[in-house]
Amino acid sequence: MGGRRTLRSTDSKKEPTMLPPTNRRTKRRNHTFLLGGILAALLLFVCGTAQAIPAYARQTGAACADCHAGAYGPALTPYGMRFKLGGYTDTDGKGTKIPLALQLTETHNNPARGSSSTALTEGDLYLAGRLTDQVGGFVKVEADHTGHNTYNTKLSSVDLRFVAKELKIGGKDTLFGISVNNSPGFNDPIAALPSASFLGPAGVTGSLLNPSSPNSLANRVIGATAYALYDDNWYGEAGTYRSLPTSQQDHLGYNIGGDPGRLRDTAYGRFAYMKDMKKQFFSAGVVGLTTKRQLPRSGPSDDIVDLGYDLTYQYLGNRDHIVQLAYVNILEKRDYGSTPVIGGVLARDKGIVHDQTMTVTYTFKQTYGLTFTHFKSTGSRDLARFGPSGDPDTTTNLISLYWAPFGKDDSYTSIANLKLAATWFRFSRFAGREDDIFFAPPGTQRTDARDLNAFSISASIAF
Amino acid sequence: MTGAARVSISNRFYLALLALVAGGLATPGARAGDAAAGKDVFKSECAECHAVAEGRNKKGPSLFGIVGRKAGSVAGYDYSDALKQSPWTWTTEQLHTYLSQPAKKANPGTKMKYDGLDDAKDLDNLISYLETLH
Repeated sequence: MGGRRTLRSTDSKKEPTMLPPTNRRTKRRNHTFLLGGILAALLLFVCGTAQAIPAYARQTGAACADCHAGAYGPALTPYGMRFKLGGYTDTDGKGTKIPLALQLTETHNNPARGSSSTALTEGDLYLAGRLTDQVGGFVKVEADHTGHNTYNTKLSSVDLRFVAKELKIGGKDTLFGISVNNSPGFNDPIAALPSASFLGPAGVTGSLLNPSSPNSLANRVIGATAYALYDDNWYGEAGTYRSLPTSQQDHLGYNIGGDPGRLRDTAYGRFAYMKDMKKQFFSAGVVGLTTKRQLPRSGPSDDIVDLGYDLTYQYLGNRDHIVQLAYVNILEKRDYGSTPVIGGVLARDKGIVHDQTMTVTYTFKQTYGLTFTHFKSTGSRDLARFGPSGDPDTTTNLISLYWAPFGKDDSYTSIANLKLAATWFRFSRFAGREDDIFFAPPGTQRTDARDLNAFSISASIAF
Repeated sequence: MTGAARVSISNRFYLALLALVAGGLATPGARAGDAAAGKDVFKSECAECHAVAEGRNKKGPSLFGIVGRKAGSVAGYDYSDALKQSPWTWTTEQLHTYLSQPAKKANPGTKMKYDGLDDAKDLDNLISYLETLH
């Protein structure tokens, strides 16, 4: 996902500069590289997201399906949200449990263009559970298949919490907590934000709150937020983040080409109202992130502000038929620190990026599920930064059908799990175009947006 | 129909009515709930914290055999002192009283976090379902 970085300058603030001319072939190479990253990221997000963690089931005595609408996850029920808010500390009181879980995922991937592949695509180790009534956490170590029987191991999501529960303010139940985590929004209880749902638009650019964006913050930053839940309904959170040095990113298993850059004066804020009516749930929230970012680190500083809102609704009923809706809208305003000339074109000094995600999921008996997600990434035109079309608009759909037979109170086992899933990725627009998205020269094979489509079948086990 | 037959049917009717009244007096306040509907109420209100399988405790204790059980008596579950010291037995009446209000009001000191079930019909159905858990 380092394509964008090659289009950025290293010069001083606001000074137009001339970089070595970039011809369209170079840009095509960049886009091809970017494309590979996007597809890989989409696969990883869908197949290897933070799912139901059997270690939590063993700790609480609860079934996976108590916290997740589909027994394998990841979408949270209101009960799952409360477990997360409580710092993963709930217990059945039967002593200390080993806070470890494993997940293995085998995937057959069939892209519209290119050869199919079948591989053990991911192995995950979860260190997840409680230390005390006030301290608990979630740490995921992930090994991703990189081809030819080789795997890259990296420190994935981290969320360590301290909570003070059962407090009273004005006679109302209040919970205070502190989360140390490595992705703004990952620790969100409603889990609709892209960092928590792992559903964010992919494209040539994207907001900082979107882990699918090039050079995203996800897992390459460290930060702390303080949060509170008041009267079971009102959620507020504020905190700050800094990016890890590139040497640490390297040690933790990340290609430094995806470095999010140096961050300064970073603030994250979240406010939401949520209402659990047992058979139904809804929430409405706002989120914000502001930072000054140097990318590359020796370059000028961009002022970036993300502002977004999210709306969710769940019909839970008696859990036989669950419908979940979520809409997330994040607008990012960029005030670039430089206006480089790239390929003879002067970059703009300001820009906006707009990420929208709409998800509908139907789950039958918490065993069979169908998810449809519509992603839309748009932004202001910038021929220099988003060449060759200059248009970052990308529209994608994700359709996933799955079967999760275990993880319920009445299933063979409630504390281990299996998921078989069939997933389609559909690109209807990429970089502002439906056809010939990379401007193929005459006589060469052109690539249409639909050529980026992919179908995959995956089998995951967790225990 | 003969007069004797009419008398016989009439007698049976009064006997049945008498039996119903007597039954009602024997268990004052007993509520006729729909256990099948109560299972759905259980799934949406209780199942996240309570299992119905014998010996399976979640955040809350197993509700297998709850009706007629002494409060705070499930083996292997770490009850609050408030419930351990409670003299209650979970009769249908006691369950009705307990579940119709916030748990912390009904039993100050309890670990159970529940706001209570306002809908009287749902509560009757739920308790009828709990009675089947044997």
